[in-house]
Amino acid sequence: MTASLTSTRRGLFGLAAGFAALSLADTAQAAPKRGGKLVYGRYADSLFLDPVLNDANVDIWVINSVYDTLLLPTADGLGVQEGLASKWAFSDGGKTLTLTVRSGVKFADGSPLKISDVKWSLDRARDPKAGAWNDMIASIDAVDIAGPDSIVLKLKTPDPTILAALATFNTSIMSQALFEAAPGATPDDKAKAFAEKPIGTGPFMLVEWRRNQVMRLVRNPHYWRMAEDGKPLPYVDELELQIIPDDNTRILKLKAGELHGSEFIPLARVKELQADASLRMELWPSTKVTYLSMMVKPTLTDGKPNPLANQKVRQALNYAVNKDAVIAITTLGLGKPMRSFMSSTTPLFDGPAPLYPYDLAKAKALLAEAGFSGGFEVSCMTVAGNQDNLNNLTTVQQMWAAIGVKLKIEQMDNPSLTKKYRAEDFQMRTAAWTNDISDPGQITSYFAYGPNIHALHSGWDDKRLDEVFLASQQETDPAKRRAQYQEIQKIFADAATIVPLYETPYTVAWRKNVSGFVQIPLGNNYFVGAAIG
Amino acid sequence: MPRLGWLVGRLLQIVPTFLLIGIAVFVLARLLPGDAVSAMLGDRASDATINRLTAELGLNRSLGAQLLAFLTAAAQGDFGASLSRHVPVMRLVAEALPVTLSLVAIATTLALAIALPLAFIAALNANRWPDIAIRAVFQVGLSSPVFYIGLILLTVFAGWLGWFPVGGYGESVSEHLYHLFLPGLTLSLSFAAVVMRNLRAAVLAVLTAEYVDFARAKGLARSVVLLRHVLRNALIATVTLVGLHVGALLGGAVITETVFAVPGVGRLMIDSIFARDYPVIQALTLVLAVLVSLAFLVTDFVQMWLDPRVGR
Repeated sequence: MTASLTSTRRGLFGLAAGFAALSLADTAQAAPKRGGKLVYGRYADSLFLDPVLNDANVDIWVINSVYDTLLLPTADGLGVQEGLASKWAFSDGGKTLTLTVRSGVKFADGSPLKISDVKWSLDRARDPKAGAWNDMIASIDAVDIAGPDSIVLKLKTPDPTILAALATFNTSIMSQALFEAAPGATPDDKAKAFAEKPIGTGPFMLVEWRRNQVMRLVRNPHYWRMAEDGKPLPYVDELELQIIPDDNTRILKLKAGELHGSEFIPLARVKELQADASLRMELWPSTKVTYLSMMVKPTLTDGKPNPLANQKVRQALNYAVNKDAVIAITTLGLGKPMRSFMSSTTPLFDGPAPLYPYDLAKAKALLAEAGFSGGFEVSCMTVAGNQDNLNNLTTVQQMWAAIGVKLKIEQMDNPSLTKKYRAEDFQMRTAAWTNDISDPGQITSYFAYGPNIHALHSGWDDKRLDEVFLASQQETDPAKRRAQYQEIQKIFADAATIVPLYETPYTVAWRKNVSGFVQIPLGNNYFVGAAIG
Repeated sequence: MPRLGWLVGRLLQIVPTFLLIGIAVFVLARLLPGDAVSAMLGDRASDATINRLTAELGLNRSLGAQLLAFLTAAAQGDFGASLSRHVPVMRLVAEALPVTLSLVAIATTLALAIALPLAFIAALNANRWPDIAIRAVFQVGLSSPVFYIGLILLTVFAGWLGWFPVGGYGESVSEHLYHLFLPGLTLSLSFAAVVMRNLRAAVLAVLTAEYVDFARAKGLARSVVLLRHVLRNALIATVTLVGLHVGALLGGAVITETVFAVPGVGRLMIDSIFARDYPVIQALTLVLAVLVSLAFLVTDFVQMWLDPRVGR
């Protein structure tokens, strides 16, 4: 977090108690101006703006501009706060969750939000046949309407992740009537039509979408949230999201004043933009972690033995990487070393000490113990054209040469890499991860829990970890769950099935006259509190 | 009449060409390693989700069944829906195609406007300083990568001088032209270099032809000799070159559109290849094949007009 950020955090959550600590620094500021068109440069266009059926961050990260969820994530990514629901309470030993939905909320077309819309949206989101995200609310057994403003979730088991799930994009509340009025014979057809011009209760509504060029959103005149001055949010009248895939062009456009803001500033350009008096460079804490993952089965698909099956070999490779040097070279010092497989912005993160501090002697000793004192060759696949990953690998390549390990770099396009990864036909791969939900359950189920995707398709499985993880998914005592996650993170770190490299922030640059934008650690962009001037 | 028969023959050749291209692109798209569903869902999806979506998209049918369905639908102009964007493919193509056609038209116009006069100046001053200077400058244009030229033009003329917008496409026709000038110029430079060198060589060759000597001997004015006899005959090879180069321009548009944030078919194609969005890849390839075939046809017509011996 940079100091410059404190001035940007006024709008979105300023009204919420959960965000009070983060907005203290701004209380002395003048009220933001209203009106105007905010123009923001994105690196890629959205694909399918359906909360349930989307597959990609380009959708997830803007869907909250159009839709609301019952709860909202806090800006630090660690908790939830009021959204469309103003109150919530657990009962029945954590197996019943009752939420009170605000009255008087309207969709952007002026139609009222009904409690039946809430039930319909949650039922649609938890349908096991719909989309890729229904697992996140698989604990819901039934959604019942308990009154005109009351919804009751009956859970199969107590679920400590359910509140975070109700603040996640796929549980966005949609209008059943508007959805069903969309053209199309089947629900899938209607979803496609509705996603072209979605109408939600969120701060903006999409009025024009020229693919690969621009999305134009105007303020929702019926938006329910009020700013600190008692007037409705959002501050700007219009939000224009321009699609500019080339980083240099996006930055040039920002400097020329054709954009107010731009996302994904390359780390190599951050210092330059920090020095530009007309701009403000924001570094938002993220859940993004960059690492090398390993396949640890004893035999490779070509029948050859896999040295990475040996835990000591994996630990040796970890000790032989000077993470600070990698961070200096690739992120120009803007990253920080990972201390767990999950980012430090993830709830229940536990990283008491650096993971495998650089120690060549220890690395050599471990290799010798494992019977590989003469070294070996290992291959790592990476997406062609990704310069950061290539920098990481060429740096690691030199470091591993010092312990006799020859790293072969295999560049390929992403679908090819994904196919080999899913088939577990690889030795190592470069990878990065961001959480979709403010809870450690998701990342743990992918990285460490064997039965889901074989712990990042490594083939590694630890029965004790699996057992603790399953227990943690039903543990509602925060202290006990924290202890469970401490154990999970320790077991995983010892197993060394990844080479953790670094965490990096989201890089967003703004013209100096814009304030109030928020990007939460999950990546979601909040323009609701942004103002010009 | 021989000409009419030749023309009909040329038109008929296009039909099997399209069929072969259709089959080839269908097969090639599926020969790409990786698959659409993995590309769409990334590396997080469970096997169950992958299998369900594969079935929903009809990608679990045999390749033969998929090919037959594709060819039958394509013959009726139906290319299905984009796998990643969930909108009809032809809508995406219809939105992007005019943008790229405009870009290619501007690039071609600029290339010819630059290359034709300079080729003549170079040829008429062969091996003297104007010729050497022109060739040297164009050598740089020919050897510089398109994205590099684009970035320089963008930085200087849009970023520093502010004469042009920094990328984008604009809203109105005049804005479109304004926005497309720099990308058009970028795309035109290497093409202009090729045309200039080709036309210079052709002019030099024609200048030594007997019919030019004869025209001069008849006492025709120098301008008449140059325009009516030299230019017309030298252009025959250049027209062929321009026609053949349309495909290269469409290829160059991929990079230019990315650098200048132009929402054309080049960017759509790249995005679709990375997403393994087969219906879009197939439709775009076919549409581009039609365009290149039409460009070749137009080239034949113009050649026939310039040189009546063609088609006899």
